[in-house]
Amino acid sequence: MLRVEGLSVSYGPVQALSEVSLDVPPGRVTAVIGANGAGKSTLMRTLAGLVKPESGRVMFEGEEITGRKPEDIARSGIALVPEGRSTIPDLTVEENLKLGGMWRSHTQRGTSLNRVYALFPVLGERRSLGADTLSGGERQQLAIGRALMCGPQVLLLDEPSLGLAPLIVTQILELVSQMAKDSGLAVLLVEQNAATALRVAKTGIVLNLGQIVKAGPAHDIAQDEELRHAYLGY
Amino acid sequence: MTNFIDYFLGGLSTGAIIALMALALVLVWRSTRVVNFAQLGQAMITTFIALTVRDATGSWLIALIAAMAAGLVVGVVVYFLVIRAVKRLDTSGAIIATFGVLIALQALAGMVWGGDQKAFPPPISNSGYEVFGRIWPFSPYDLLVVVLLFVLVLTMTIVFTRTSVGLAMRASAFNPEVARLSGVRVNRMLVLGWAIAGLVGAVAGVLVAPLSTLSPTSFDLFLVFAFTAAVIGGLDSLVGAVAFGIGTGLVISLVSGYTDSGNAPVVALLLLVLNLLFKPEGVFSHHKARAV
Repeated sequence: MLRVEGLSVSYGPVQALSEVSLDVPPGRVTAVIGANGAGKSTLMRTLAGLVKPESGRVMFEGEEITGRKPEDIARSGIALVPEGRSTIPDLTVEENLKLGGMWRSHTQRGTSLNRVYALFPVLGERRSLGADTLSGGERQQLAIGRALMCGPQVLLLDEPSLGLAPLIVTQILELVSQMAKDSGLAVLLVEQNAATALRVAKTGIVLNLGQIVKAGPAHDIAQDEELRHAYLGY
Repeated sequence: MTNFIDYFLGGLSTGAIIALMALALVLVWRSTRVVNFAQLGQAMITTFIALTVRDATGSWLIALIAAMAAGLVVGVVVYFLVIRAVKRLDTSGAIIATFGVLIALQALAGMVWGGDQKAFPPPISNSGYEVFGRIWPFSPYDLLVVVLLFVLVLTMTIVFTRTSVGLAMRASAFNPEVARLSGVRVNRMLVLGWAIAGLVGAVAGVLVAPLSTLSPTSFDLFLVFAFTAAVIGGLDSLVGAVAFGIGTGLVISLVSGYTDSGNAPVVALLLLVLNLLFKPEGVFSHHKARAV
C-alpha cells in the first residue's frame, strides 16, 4: 500500500533519517519504535508532506508521492495524526471532525461522521462542546477521528501515547488495530512506548539515529532481549 | 445630559465605520499574522473607483458594488505583493512592505485622481432626524451606515460559523498545519481572507467618504482609530473589532464634543498604550493562557 524507498532527510547539517526503507501493508498495524530523537516524527512528517526529503521515494499504490503538498497527500488517502495536540481547541468537537475530508461528497462525509461517533461514542456526546473541554484521551480520539474523516487508506499515528494513561493508550491502540483488520486500513504507528506498540502491531521496525537497525515480526522484536536493552530501554 | 446623548448618537456611524475597518485588519491578521497598514490605502483607491463609477452612472448602489468588487481584487493583488515579501523577509518585513504599498497606493491615487479634496455626497439625507421638536445628530445616512455594518457582520458570522469555507478559513487561521493535514488548501483560504478584508474595507471607504471629503490621504486618521480598535479587541477577534470599533467611535465623539476634536487621536493612542500596558493580548483574544 505505502512503500518507502531509501528515504533520507536532513535539517541543515543534522541527518535525521538515512536510507530508510519500509512497507506499510493494508489490514494491519506496522510499528516503528525507537528512543527520542531516533527520527520517528521526521519519518511521519516526511510521509505526510510536511518535510521535504533529501533523497529517496515514497510510493503510494504504485504512484510516487514524494515531495507533494500535505493537503494533496491527505486528499490522496494518507492521513497523519500528528504528535501532541493536533486538535483545534477554538473549534467544537464536531467542527474539528468536519474539518477532515472537506473535499469528499456530502454522503461520504456523513457516513464517516457516523462511523467516528460509533467508534468513539464520547465524541458524539460532546459534539457541540469546545474541543478544549476534552480530556487528553478524548482529544487523541478526536485527532484520530479527524484523520478518519478524510476516508484514508493509510493512517499515520505519531506517538499517540504521549501524555496519556497506559490503560487509555491500550484501549485506543486496540481499537485502531481492530479497525485495520476490519476495514483493510494500513496503519503506521510510531511509538516511544515500545511494549504497547509491539502488542498491537504485526510488524516492528526499530529506528535508531535515523537508521533502521531491525525489522521483523513484532512478536520477535518484543522477545529480543539485546534489542530491548540497546535501543528500547526496557 | 442632552449633550451626552447628542455626542453618543453622533459617534454611532463613525464607530460603525471604524468597526468595519478594524474588521478588515482583523481578517488579515487572523489569516496571515500581518497587520496590513495598506488596508486604508486599498479602501481609498476603491472609494475613488466608486466615485468615478458614481459620476458615470449616477447610481450610489452601483458605485458601492463596484467598490466591493474592486476591494476583492485589490485585496488579492496586495496579498501577493506583501506575501512575496513575507516569504523572502520575515513578518516585520511584511509589515514594512504594507506601509510601502500604502504609500504607493496614495501616490497612484494622486496621479490618477489628483491630490485635492473631492466631495462624495451621501445617497440619502445626512441631516439629523427631527423628533420631539428638535433635530438629533442622527441622520438617515447614519442609519444606513449602522444597518450596513449589521448586515455585513451578520453575513460574515453566518459564513464563518455555518459553512464549510468558513470552517476551513477559521481552521487555517487557528492551526494551518492541522488544516493542511485535513486536506484544506490553506493558501487559498489566506487569499480569500485578504479578499474579504478588501471587500469590507471598500464598504467602509464608501461609507466614510460622505462624512468628510475624499483625497489620497483623507483616510489616514481612520487607520489610527481602526488599528486602536482592532488591537484592543485582540487583533484576532471579529467580535472584539466590532465592539471596540463602535466604542472607539463613541469615545472620539465624546472627546471631540466635550473638549476639542484635535484631542481624539491623542485619546485613541492613550487607550492603545493603556491596553498594551495592562492587557497586551487584547480583550477578546483567543490566545489566552489555557489550563491543561
